[in-house]
Amino acid sequence: MSTFFQTLIVGLRLGSIYALIALGYTMVYGIIRLINFAHGDFIMVGGYTVIFTIPLVLRLGAPAWVSVLAAVVVCALVGMSTELIAYRPVRKKGTNMTALITAIAMSLFLENLAQAIPVIGPNPKVSTQIFRAGGIRFGTVTMEYTTIFTLIISAVIMLVLYTFTQKTRLGRAMRCVSEDKAAATLMGINVNHTILLTFGIGSALAAVAALMYLAQYPKVYTTMGGLLGLKAFVSAVLGGIGIIPGAMLGGIVIGLVESFTTSYISSSMADTFVFLILIIVLVIKPAGILGKNVGEKV
Amino acid sequence: MKKRNLIFLVLAFIFVFTLSGTGVWAADDAIVIGVISPNTGALAAYGIGISTGADLAVEEINAAGGILGRQVELIHTDDQSDPTECLNAFNSLVAKGVQLIVGSATSGCTSAITDAANEEEVCILSPTATADSLTTEDDYIFRACYADSFQGAIAAAYAKQAGFERVGVVYCAADVYSKGLFDSFSKACAAYGIEVAAEQSTASLDVQDYTNQFNAMVNAGVDFVYAPYYYDVVGPYVVPQARAAGYLGIIMGADGYDTTPDYVVAGADLTAFNDVYWTNHYDPSDTSEIVSSFVKAYEEKYGSIPSAFGATGYDCVYMYKAAIEAAGAVDAEAVRDALADTSAVYECVTGTFSLDESGTPMKGAAIISFSSDGQSVSAKLVDVVSQLP
Repeated sequence: MSTFFQTLIVGLRLGSIYALIALGYTMVYGIIRLINFAHGDFIMVGGYTVIFTIPLVLRLGAPAWVSVLAAVVVCALVGMSTELIAYRPVRKKGTNMTALITAIAMSLFLENLAQAIPVIGPNPKVSTQIFRAGGIRFGTVTMEYTTIFTLIISAVIMLVLYTFTQKTRLGRAMRCVSEDKAAATLMGINVNHTILLTFGIGSALAAVAALMYLAQYPKVYTTMGGLLGLKAFVSAVLGGIGIIPGAMLGGIVIGLVESFTTSYISSSMADTFVFLILIIVLVIKPAGILGKNVGEKV
Repeated sequence: MKKRNLIFLVLAFIFVFTLSGTGVWAADDAIVIGVISPNTGALAAYGIGISTGADLAVEEINAAGGILGRQVELIHTDDQSDPTECLNAFNSLVAKGVQLIVGSATSGCTSAITDAANEEEVCILSPTATADSLTTEDDYIFRACYADSFQGAIAAAYAKQAGFERVGVVYCAADVYSKGLFDSFSKACAAYGIEVAAEQSTASLDVQDYTNQFNAMVNAGVDFVYAPYYYDVVGPYVVPQARAAGYLGIIMGADGYDTTPDYVVAGADLTAFNDVYWTNHYDPSDTSEIVSSFVKAYEEKYGSIPSAFGATGYDCVYMYKAAIEAAGAVDAEAVRDALADTSAVYECVTGTFSLDESGTPMKGAAIISFSSDGQSVSAKLVDVVSQLP
């Protein structure tokens, strides 16, 4: 029984991270129908920012997690610059496919750029302890506070994002842009500003995800966004890409599948099962778990 | 006027590139040795160790008059600990006419270039690639380190000596190094009558969570776990998560644990690193003349204690020197024949040894343990094992 709980907790721990990252993917996809493959690398940017600002923050006497504020600013700037420099010009000239390829190129560009910066360099960096260790004990197993925080933060962000897109003027503008750019322009919505803002918010989410990731898995390296981003992307697709609660659900499902495969089936097949589950779900329900099968929508 | 300037500029560029391409800038008759190491990427600490060690050896050799009266020159290449990049680096060295190569650090990378090296008839002398399958008889592949069949067995021998009858293993099924050590460890356990009571693996070296694997160790009731991984996951993930999962017994690793103390989480409870043991190529606190003078020279030049990778990188250059002097020539075939001579004795920082028929040194291993007061992690020598019991 303790194995079951331990596995469940590890699954939630991984899942909470995937969920938080998947929210960023799904947000951008939901608004401009672009799978932003560079999102995983925004996590890397956020991770390095956190690591570099922690010593400064500690010197000021603030707790280590305050460094996330710097990461939010840096990530939002990087995300918006990516949109301005790469995605917007390509979108003007090309199709959805060219935008997708640009996203992949952007991801590789960021990874290699980071390596070329001397203070980052190629070596992995290990962060300092971010939250106090400890947690709630269930018998022999411990659920860390960090995991609980991550789940709560994911849920809060999910609710805020959902309310934001449904209720506010800006959110409505985003949904308009997502449905029909030309009509949105006619309605007086500045499409380019709206998309830029979407990137700003999506990338700021990456900074929060980076902090929570580091709190549980305290290592950053320039290519960390690769597999992490891929799994979060799979989570978003599994839950129904473009649907905000779906990202959170998908993330937790992927984390649990990974953990339970490790414990009960084969520890070296965790990734195999993650992607197998994805294929099965997509065969049965192509729009994802929470997705609606509407022809035009996706 | 403008056009003529442009043509002049283009010509100047072509001139410069042709010069640098054909190596005209190199000293006329220098002996060129190529180095392939992971200078960037996840295992960059290894590459930095190997290239600095090799640089130091070359500096010393050149200051003492070179090899056969010729100066030595190194060409450094980077494989980013990626087998494909390793092959690219190898091809670029061969294209430059390099016949003698030091590299690469990991078994995974080195296995990508062994076939090509035999085909191109270029010597490979790996400082730290320990997988058994790499070196065979009648080939161009040699190394300056022991093989995994020895390294894994040393760990099993240590478990037996410490009185453990049931042990567990956590390893990466997809990595040549980790899997190779797992194989030799379990084979040696069978020979020593130790039961491997729990086996867990991970799908890749990128995995972040080892909690379930160590939970299985706790459930199996073992107090000795062999976990052959590299420092970049051992420091931040494997050891702290093992302790958090309630596993308090001995964790034993291999030479991949070198430099772990630089990759631990500051501010976390580092007492997790007590009872962690690993096997290594040498011990920097050894007081013998050759080790202490190497450590002193390295510290003076780079300001840090050399890792085992620095030591083996240094040794590789000196092994080439000995082989070239024995052969009296610098072409790959003559050097290969000299290295294949099993009676030649190499006096190196990582021990005095000869190579066996396959090209692997017959030498001992140092067993090192980590200890921590909670603030930092330090390493200390436990034992030096030169022969398997």
